[in-house]
Amino acid sequence: MEHEATQLEKQHVHSVYENTAAYFSDLQTKAWPRVRNFLLEQKPGSLVVDIGCGTGKYLSVNSQVYNLGCDYCEGLVEIARKKGDEVLVCDNLNLPFRDQCFNAVISIGVIHHFSTKQRRIKAIKEMARILIPGGQIMIYVWAMEQKNRRFEKQDVFVPWNKALCSRHFSESNQSGDKGEFVHAAKGQDIHPAQLVISECSYQNNLQPETDSKHPRNMDHCLPRACCMKISEEENRFYSALGRSFRSWFFSRSLDESALRKQSDKMKHLKHEGVWAGSAVPIQHSRHCSLDLGHHGALLNEQSLDDDDDVFVESLSLRKPQWSPATDALKDLSLNGGHQSVAQSKGDKASFINGPVEDRDCVCGCNKDGAGKSDASKFFKRTSTTDSTDSALDSAVSVGDQIDAVLDTKAFMRYYHVFREGELSSLVEENVPELQILSSCYDHGNWCIIAERRG
Amino acid sequence: MKLLTHNLLSSHVPGLRPGAGFPLRIELGHPSELPPEPSPGYEADEEFLRRLHHVLLEVEVLEGSLQCPDSGRRFPISRGVPNLLLSEDEA
Repeated sequence: MEHEATQLEKQHVHSVYENTAAYFSDLQTKAWPRVRNFLLEQKPGSLVVDIGCGTGKYLSVNSQVYNLGCDYCEGLVEIARKKGDEVLVCDNLNLPFRDQCFNAVISIGVIHHFSTKQRRIKAIKEMARILIPGGQIMIYVWAMEQKNRRFEKQDVFVPWNKALCSRHFSESNQSGDKGEFVHAAKGQDIHPAQLVISECSYQNNLQPETDSKHPRNMDHCLPRACCMKISEEENRFYSALGRSFRSWFFSRSLDESALRKQSDKMKHLKHEGVWAGSAVPIQHSRHCSLDLGHHGALLNEQSLDDDDDVFVESLSLRKPQWSPATDALKDLSLNGGHQSVAQSKGDKASFINGPVEDRDCVCGCNKDGAGKSDASKFFKRTSTTDSTDSALDSAVSVGDQIDAVLDTKAFMRYYHVFREGELSSLVEENVPELQILSSCYDHGNWCIIAERRG
Repeated sequence: MKLLTHNLLSSHVPGLRPGAGFPLRIELGHPSELPPEPSPGYEADEEFLRRLHHVLLEVEVLEGSLQCPDSGRRFPISRGVPNLLLSEDEA
């Protein structure tokens, strides 16, 4: 299990960050106010370390304390270093620090990249180890529960695309920037950068949930997805959405699943063009990236400022008759603020009918460029019930095809998103040396502050 | 890497004797003067404190390595950044 976990993280965390580090800048991500306050509250002269500091955005918040940052990714650490930060490269699971030497530790958006519960616990224990008694730690992890939605599963692959992480992208958009989205959707002159931001926030907000009691009915979704008529504007809007949705992948947690035979998996991958259930859809990703790749190639060739070409091209790839304006998408548009089409459903009830169907619809339609029947045929080959494939299997077998995907700059990052209370329980039950002082939900993240007992 | 950071580091190579990972030995690309041991009562010695502050916070190791005092394993420092990752086999 340990080996699988490290492999998964190597492929879908470390190498993604390493390959994309060059595109990161401080403008990309905002410093969360709560984290800033936590840092500013530390006494002058304190020794503070940011474990998983990335480009070091928190290392200059409080100049009265000694700020140290570390990260697994050399590329990101280099960027921080250039800013004059004190940083080093190391592994959260094996911190090169002495016991009990820091007054404060922060771990912001880090431990959700660990693929097993045991590793997440180990990461927290390591951070507790280096804290002096009375010292405090703040941990932020991505929440399964987002504004009005939830991720369908807790173990997710999130695509990273150069265009989606333009300098305009801000993690603060995790909660969705309605204004920009509305703006982007209306009018002829949608600014692709804006559209990109919207997509990003959409991606971050994508939390569809199916009713797990019912098996997904692929056929069912098709008519809804493909036959609704909407305006040209909305069509473009949803086209852009569709592009984002297609890129999301869910996986089964390494903790839960039994490993399937490789042969089963490979067979599945070869013949199923569509992502099914909880497995990472390798074929699917290929199609997606082919589709996206068409954009991707363009995006690679052109600067992000070359808006018109990028945008126009994306339009031309869409068949006019395709309108994935399902209720689900309409719901999701809520986050994006496309109010004219949005319908409000209750909080818990507002789930789309699984991203699978919609994505599949999108891919199916686009790929085949055909109508309903072809797409249905496409779907029927896919198993609609959850496979018990592990993320590992998918990840491992993705390995080869990932190379094909890479040139479209569509890297996929692994996340384990946390349920409400999960982080607290994790600490309470496994890290007795820490006492939780407070916990909260902030900008789509679960956050706790804990103190080292002693 | 500042010397204060070095003060916080300990070798995490598996299988070391307890406490044997500290301090990591600084090996520099070129020789440099390092401070002597602090004399007793140094807290009151203003001059010493100033020099200490300088050494801890204003001197940086840019190129060199950190050597584990127990296992001898070396961790490189390049462009001011120490890399303390263990290889998969070691961990």
